[in-house]
Amino acid sequence: MHPSTALSAGIRSFTFHEEDSPVLRDVDLSFAPGTLTVILGGSGSGKSTLGRLLAGWLSPGTRGSLHGHLELAGTRLHFNGSADDPRINPAQWGVQVGFVPQDASSALSTVRATVAEELAFGLENAGVDRAAMKAAVKRTADLLGLNRLLDRHPGTLSGGQLRRLAIGCAVIAEPAVLVLDEPLASLDAAGTDELAFLLRRLLAGGTAVVVLSQAIDGALLEADWWIVLDGGTVTASGTPEDLHAAPECLPAAIRRPGPEPKSRMPARGSATWGAQAAAEPILELRGVAFGYHGNPGRGRKAKAATRGASGHELNTVLLGIDLVLLPGEIVAVTGANGAGKSTLLRHLNGLLRPTSGSVLLNGKDIARVPVGEVAASVGLLFQNPRDQLFERTAAREVRFGLDRRFGADEAADRTAAALAAVGLAEAAHGHPAELPASGQRLLALATVLARRPAVLALDEPTVALDGNGLAVLDTAVRSAAAAGAAVVLVTHDVPYARSVADRLLALDGGRLLGN
Amino acid sequence: MRLHPLTSLAVAGSTAVITTAAASWPLSLAVIAAAVGLSALGGTLRPLLPAAAAVLVPLCLSLLVLHGLFFPEGVSVLAQWGPARVTTEGLSFALQRAAQLSAAVLALLVFSFSVNVPDLVAALPAKGIQGRVAFVLASTLTLMPAAASRLQRIRQAQEARGLVIRRGLLHRMAAFRLQAVPLVSALVEEAGTRGSALDARGFGSTGPRTSYREVPDRPLERLLRTFLLLAAVVAVAARLWQAGG
Repeated sequence: MHPSTALSAGIRSFTFHEEDSPVLRDVDLSFAPGTLTVILGGSGSGKSTLGRLLAGWLSPGTRGSLHGHLELAGTRLHFNGSADDPRINPAQWGVQVGFVPQDASSALSTVRATVAEELAFGLENAGVDRAAMKAAVKRTADLLGLNRLLDRHPGTLSGGQLRRLAIGCAVIAEPAVLVLDEPLASLDAAGTDELAFLLRRLLAGGTAVVVLSQAIDGALLEADWWIVLDGGTVTASGTPEDLHAAPECLPAAIRRPGPEPKSRMPARGSATWGAQAAAEPILELRGVAFGYHGNPGRGRKAKAATRGASGHELNTVLLGIDLVLLPGEIVAVTGANGAGKSTLLRHLNGLLRPTSGSVLLNGKDIARVPVGEVAASVGLLFQNPRDQLFERTAAREVRFGLDRRFGADEAADRTAAALAAVGLAEAAHGHPAELPASGQRLLALATVLARRPAVLALDEPTVALDGNGLAVLDTAVRSAAAAGAAVVLVTHDVPYARSVADRLLALDGGRLLGN
Repeated sequence: MRLHPLTSLAVAGSTAVITTAAASWPLSLAVIAAAVGLSALGGTLRPLLPAAAAVLVPLCLSLLVLHGLFFPEGVSVLAQWGPARVTTEGLSFALQRAAQLSAAVLALLVFSFSVNVPDLVAALPAKGIQGRVAFVLASTLTLMPAAASRLQRIRQAQEARGLVIRRGLLHRMAAFRLQAVPLVSALVEEAGTRGSALDARGFGSTGPRTSYREVPDRPLERLLRTFLLLAAVVAVAARLWQAGG
């Protein structure tokens, strides 16, 4: 047993079976108890593969071949890509190394009806007795602030709550190492503070914490060690101070704090603004109020879980929202996680209908217009690309519905142009699910851009984008506005909102407040 | 009082078997009435009726066509078109079969709409149904809601890109054509990514398991389950003996 190292790896190369070139090479890492290590890298740098390999989610031999070694709790396993290589038992490895994937919901079992049972799932499988499970669930819920959610169905949690639950599932067995893939994505400032607090407590308890990130966030400045991954290999490492002093070591794909990407489009002068003020609004929300019925989950399972507890009362999310969107303006709506930002955006194309008030598109109420028709004028980028993408190839994805509206020739042109605009021309025939998270986000954006809608409604567009992706988004937003589209983006990313928007609004307590 | 899920399963299962074996008009009608009554009491009548109709209407119609028109033992002919004869005996036999079938299907549907799925999932490992089998059963029971919510998300994504779905069942069915392939591939892909998560959480381990959720099981219920199982066996045996004799 080597007390100073909880987990270490010496990866000469790791190659997926279906690929020719290695996705990782010459990566040497070691994580000591009670330390925070941040592995920084852009989209496609091999970060997530490395994380899954370290966490035992990607067993060498089954999906790819590893040359090198992994060492956990003093036991070193050597791999040379042959059939005689040792096999990792994911369950035993998982007791020592907890992992929270980028898409936190994919870590959940889906067959447990409450947060408490989901937390206990791993302990049930290990045969832990009920009294010990209850104690562990209580301890973990205290640590993660999940106490008030223990009886909720996991399907009814918000994104931030879901991530906390996934972290809870990973740490309930008190692993020596915790690996988190992009834990800060989609968290608001309060959520980031909570996570930083949680990490500090885990570190104080002796856990070795490894964070994989494509953005440098304030919370990561506290790390003991930064490792930069680029093109599948380590290109720099050192303390945060060291690497801050040598910014040339950080590839452009890594997002940095501070001023967000500079505008590539000319700033609009006051003359243009005056012209806009005189223009007719494209979209108008008048006194829009909305509430969800008591059981937000769908299906019998969700109903069974919430029946009685919440009854059928209306959970009000929006209270009398008034908003006027003019051609060419960029409006950013900020707000905390769970403030109702996505709910507001889904009213713009009619996916949700107001309980009172009205939505007017070019002066006409859309109450009786099918979503598919509103969509010709209002393009919506969903918060989660997995909710937006459903086709077999990137090109088919962008082209969906275009043929019928524009004819085959124009549909092909628009598809190619939209894919090129987001830098995915090369990936046109690949499966959307095989793109890295940043690529999926950009593909979803391309599906919206290809229709050139009069209103672009973007739900948390910066989430999961690396530095290069953010520049693509920024250009797309500004070009669309310059061409006369109205852009509404809802985001928790206040610095980005401030850098891009003509108007900044805050959604708080169901109302829109102007800044 | 809440029944253990296996007790409700035993009640529904044995009712279905005994009604089928007994082939008695009054019993079938009584079971149908009881099933509808229980479902109304439990507040599950609204989802139950369309599901029951979807299963029973085609089945009962085919029984009527088959036995009502082509019943060799039929004597009292009511109408005749070539080889097809409507006989009193044929109609009565078809109605009896339809009642029997409806009773069995309704009993099982009432169970499936009223059972607390999490309780059932938790109860299985405690009864010696371990690991993967329990998970397959659990995911089968939770698959419909999961698939329905995924289907809704795919439909919203397509609507947001200009797919116009008008109100009404026919329009929805026509739109489903565009959603079927994405739905299946999404479910398969999800299953793949979930696999590693489940493995890492010890789901594949072969050792003993425990359950966090407590599902109380009274000795009386265990006795009742044994009795119902025996009653079903006896009913089938009696039927076979009658047929043989």
